[in-house]
Amino acid sequence: MTAVRRRQVRAVVAVCAAAVVLAGCAAPDAEAPVAEERSWEDVLAEAEGQTVDLWMYGGDVQGNAYVDDVLAPAAAELGVTLRRVPIADTGDAVNRVLSERQADVTDGEVDLVWVNGDNFATGRQAGAWLCDWTSMLPNMAGTDPDDPLLTTDFGTPVDGCEAPWHKAQFSLVHDAARVPDPPTTLAGVLDWAEANPGRFTYPAAPDFTGSAFLRQVLYSVSGGVDEVPLEHSDEAYDELSPALYDRLAELAPSLWRGGDTYPQTQQELDQLFADGQVDMTMTYGPATLDDLVADGTFPETTRVLPLEEGTLGNASFLAIPSTSGDQAGAMVVADLALSPEQQLTKARPEVWGQFTVLDLDRLSDDERAGFEALPDSAVVPSYEELSAGADPELSAGWVTPLDDGWRREVAAG
Amino acid sequence: MTAPGRHGSPGARRAVLLVLPAVVPVVVVVGAALTSAVLLSLGLTPLVGRPELSLDAWRGAELGTSIRLSLAIAAGATAVAAVVGLGLALAVTATVRRSRLLGTLGALTIPVPHLVGAAAMGLLLADAGFLPRLLGVAPEDWPALVGGRWWIAVGAEYAWKESAFIALVVAGVLSSRVASYTETAALLGAGRWARFRHVTLPLAAPALGASAAVSFVYTLGSYEVAALLGRPSPEPLPVLAVRLFTSIDLAARPQAAAVAVTTSALGLVAVLLALRSLRRLAGEQ
Repeated sequence: MTAVRRRQVRAVVAVCAAAVVLAGCAAPDAEAPVAEERSWEDVLAEAEGQTVDLWMYGGDVQGNAYVDDVLAPAAAELGVTLRRVPIADTGDAVNRVLSERQADVTDGEVDLVWVNGDNFATGRQAGAWLCDWTSMLPNMAGTDPDDPLLTTDFGTPVDGCEAPWHKAQFSLVHDAARVPDPPTTLAGVLDWAEANPGRFTYPAAPDFTGSAFLRQVLYSVSGGVDEVPLEHSDEAYDELSPALYDRLAELAPSLWRGGDTYPQTQQELDQLFADGQVDMTMTYGPATLDDLVADGTFPETTRVLPLEEGTLGNASFLAIPSTSGDQAGAMVVADLALSPEQQLTKARPEVWGQFTVLDLDRLSDDERAGFEALPDSAVVPSYEELSAGADPELSAGWVTPLDDGWRREVAAG
Repeated sequence: MTAPGRHGSPGARRAVLLVLPAVVPVVVVVGAALTSAVLLSLGLTPLVGRPELSLDAWRGAELGTSIRLSLAIAAGATAVAAVVGLGLALAVTATVRRSRLLGTLGALTIPVPHLVGAAAMGLLLADAGFLPRLLGVAPEDWPALVGGRWWIAVGAEYAWKESAFIALVVAGVLSSRVASYTETAALLGAGRWARFRHVTLPLAAPALGASAAVSFVYTLGSYEVAALLGRPSPEPLPVLAVRLFTSIDLAARPQAAAVAVTTSALGLVAVLLALRSLRRLAGEQ
């Protein structure tokens, strides 16, 4: 070995050692930080002048417009600047917060996240969310403290780690002109798909909607909601999942393109529906349908397909990361978003059409009248009708095993 | 080849000093990133829980299919790009009159980002895309080019984009040297095929090999085209890595790191092999 070569080796070793130090070896504390109990005036005073970065899925045009044109100006009146940060997937925000936690950041980029389900559960597991703060919000008084949709999120106790934002209902959608005699149960939908080869498909998991469809089919093939334990266990998975994968593998040859491939996202499925390549689509946010019909993307005859056994329902939330430096401002925005005025504006179909999380019985007569006067839609039934017999979401522990199993057993097959 | 005063001469030392500002950041940044990826894949820097050395991530990531798929896509796309790129370079250098127009047309694809190229390819080749509509073919009769079993749209996009790069590099080499050599060969009575076989091709080979190697490694590690135009399963390495890294399952991150390290290792092996064969090529000349 020449002297030069030796020097090179030593340099490489030094660089590697430096890299190890840079990378660090410590895992962050998984314990969730808890908000300090204080008066709302205190919070308002501290929030004055803060800038809150709200990270939310950016693919929903109406949602973006609502935050920019309605929520942000209202926050500005309270002295809080609200900035919307569009992301492709809520997991990106969670990952960002987890990385910040790993790096011990206390003034992170994320102040508020539109979140629910497995993203929330993962964040809780890693202590990424600030907890015990929603009881301080004055507008929480308008919600029902016993509403199961608001106290647990995909089986994970909310524990004041996120403030409710709106409710959603998983919905199958069909074109009444092309499906004149639609099925009324999910089993019926699968049979219909087999009778009409190539006219049905669903998004590939882990797409949020595709993943919800898997859980809905799991309920169906297992004989109903009561047959599936909400809490995940390996035994329950091993017992129940084979029927799901067998049914979907059996269905595959009848799907769009013979089940050789699947749309990767709900948007791709919507595109197929809009192009007339399939006769059904599905969504966890039926509120957007009115708009899609109005602008001509979807045909006039688009209708939500009610299922006899009900469909999955959930609520989505606003969570404050433990790494946020503007937590008071974030609380003010979360409280504002819960106010009857904001909830009513957001519920208007032309604004966003999202179902409120408020309990109408707890509102004043004027406020309730506002919600009752919301226009009916030809496309989407009212929330009462849509959520009749709503199925609870499985715990977040189910989501990843079901998605991974589907990739292995159905998509790869 | 001799290199007088290669070690220790003032000239060489100054050259090393001049390169340092470029080399040090690359080594530190890439080195730190790779090291942290290796540590993560070995379970030494978990997001939650205690660090513990384990190979679970390497076993759990199901690498085999993805490696084969990635290599196949990269090899296929690079082969097509090399052939098309060489043809383009020959066309550009063959005729002086048309060369400027051809060269401009050939170079047009270079400033187009891969993401835009992929989106355009998707709009063109999908079942309900521009081409089937233009030809009046019903979506269900159109072959599955986008998201199909053979990854045709993905390969086509890489080949289309990389061929321009290969053409640019090869044409640069050929334009400076090939004319006088081929003229000499022609005067000596060499036919068209013989001139191509014994003059043009050997002259172009090192540049063609180097640019093909760059294109291969690029395709191997690139995410957006395969993510946009590919199918959900099986996945090429970069798509697998991104899906695992952004998975909400905390245990998937070490697996993502294992995939990323594998991709880097494959790229490194490809570069080393290419360098060795290039040296042999240069030796033959």
